[in-house]
Amino acid sequence: MSMFDYDARPVTPGVVLVGTRASRGAYAIRDFLSRNGYPFEWVDLDRADAVAAVLAGAGAEPAALPLCILPDGSRLPSATVEQVAAGLGMIAAPSRSEYDLMIIGAGLAGLAAAVNAASEGLRTVVVEAVAPGGQAGTTSMIENLLGFPNGISGSELATRATVQARRFGAELLLARPLVGVSADGPGYVAELSDGTLIRGRAVLFASGVEWRRLDVPGVDDLLGAGVYYGAGPSEALACTDSRVVVVGGGNSAGQAVVRFSRYAQQVTLLVRGHDLGSSMSQYLIDQVTAIPNVDVRVHTQVVGVEADDRLGAVIVRSGDSTERVPLPTDALFICIGGTPRTDGAAGSGLITNTAGYVVTGSDVAREPGSDWPLPREPLPLETNLPGVLAAGDVRLGSVKRCAAAIGEGSMAVALVHRRLAEVGGD
Amino acid sequence: MTDQQVVAHPDVAAEFTELASDERIAKAAAALERNGIRPLLAATGADARALVGSLLTDGAEVYNNTSRTLEAIGVADDIERSGRYQPLRLRLYRMDREMQAREMRTLAASPDYVVGSVHALTEDGSLLIASASGSQLGPLVSGAGHVILVIGAQKIVGDVATGMRRIHEYCYPLEDARARRAYGVPSGVNNILIINKVIIPGRVTAIIVSERLGF
Repeated sequence: MSMFDYDARPVTPGVVLVGTRASRGAYAIRDFLSRNGYPFEWVDLDRADAVAAVLAGAGAEPAALPLCILPDGSRLPSATVEQVAAGLGMIAAPSRSEYDLMIIGAGLAGLAAAVNAASEGLRTVVVEAVAPGGQAGTTSMIENLLGFPNGISGSELATRATVQARRFGAELLLARPLVGVSADGPGYVAELSDGTLIRGRAVLFASGVEWRRLDVPGVDDLLGAGVYYGAGPSEALACTDSRVVVVGGGNSAGQAVVRFSRYAQQVTLLVRGHDLGSSMSQYLIDQVTAIPNVDVRVHTQVVGVEADDRLGAVIVRSGDSTERVPLPTDALFICIGGTPRTDGAAGSGLITNTAGYVVTGSDVAREPGSDWPLPREPLPLETNLPGVLAAGDVRLGSVKRCAAAIGEGSMAVALVHRRLAEVGGD
Repeated sequence: MTDQQVVAHPDVAAEFTELASDERIAKAAAALERNGIRPLLAATGADARALVGSLLTDGAEVYNNTSRTLEAIGVADDIERSGRYQPLRLRLYRMDREMQAREMRTLAASPDYVVGSVHALTEDGSLLIASASGSQLGPLVSGAGHVILVIGAQKIVGDVATGMRRIHEYCYPLEDARARRAYGVPSGVNNILIINKVIIPGRVTAIIVSERLGF
């Protein structure tokens, strides 16, 4: 028995990751481990004392970075996310040859569907490219979700939902993106990036959105080296006493500002629009505008960056001015909405609009070339492919809020039952 | 307590590291039972590990207190790494200490199971546990649904007074040195919990191991 339960951290060895802060590969692994809640110690190669302490003089060749040391002591030089996931035993094969429902994406919509489907006895599998929780999983505090009067963090909500889904028997296959879907009799077969094939009698696309890229020269070259998409939960502590810029006008940007203001010396929120009210919830506007070390600049956009090996400043332009003003910045977090994640459906015939959102329900008939094959109309969340549904942010017309995603995911299961009854066996 | 590091005197160490005889173990176990604490006996750390595994429910939220005993016999690893349970330490680890302090507090306070050890077990069945922060004590008293304590037989003492002396004179110096090494801060005997009797039947289980475990 110890007298000191310091910070309630795991007592067994975690992962040690050695790299340079400017490394994009190292950032990808940090982000992956962080979002999956896997304990790790980050050793910045720029700090020789820390490297010596961890590696006990063994050194780390620059060519072998990032170096990942697993809890069993094995080393992964030039580590990738896929290697780390496999090394940690996070890669599981599907246990069944066929599922009633295959859910693509373990964000809130996907997890809600998994809980409801599995609880109703459907053989359910969820495929997730990165980590449970999706975009909401990186949200520091959701305060307007029914039943959580004091708010709940996205990661905790995702953790609870994952536990709940598994308790009902849903399977989660993590760390492998979907690369293809095709018809297979009355159902479908999906292929994951490692070649795993999964058969589902019905499919739910709940793959959400990925952060929209900020189309400014030089920004993507600094990814992981001062530039981050989303709220970057792995980077919050690293922002202590630094100058942070958040770009975006939605709730994700507002939540990122609140989080980073606890650590950073100064947080500047850059909003392209004329005010926050059009896209951010009022409770967040009230919080953001009341924090002393937060500066909100509306009608302002990023037009450039300055950097050596790391971000040094963002160049902004305000209003109708043509003046480009440098804003010294240690970390830039970009939260400017999303691009639908439907890469894995390419070639399946799934219809999306020009922005990439999946068309469902009565909108299907209005799409040229939808070629709906059944005598009945598409179900409300059904795509142009019978038995393939979409829910949450990836769906055209969805409301971009946590509660809406949970609602759509839950509702989809009732529709899946109707589809399964149609093809027999429900 | 001062912040100065203290080392246990060799005589003190000898007094508090000697394994209790089978008779004293049996006496302490019988007293625990009278006090509403379920006693289980294990010959080895491996046996104790298996016992803990048989007591924990799959899928339960389990908090493993920081414990050299649990680390030594592999229970900490079972809880945090086996995948059988919801290890709360891993869940707490991923939380933002600034933004989620409230969630962390509530989650750590009421696990389904807390697994830990004690600093002293008296022959008349009292358990003594010291804590610098006090964070481990609430769940032991009432927050946790079930409490499992793994106790090396060298921790059995004659009475509460001797148990208090064991904490101050033997455990504290060792723990202080450990805390300074591990966290860079001193420890302290800031809170002491004494469990004399448990009202809820079966809530607290004490596994006495006939091996020297922890300190």
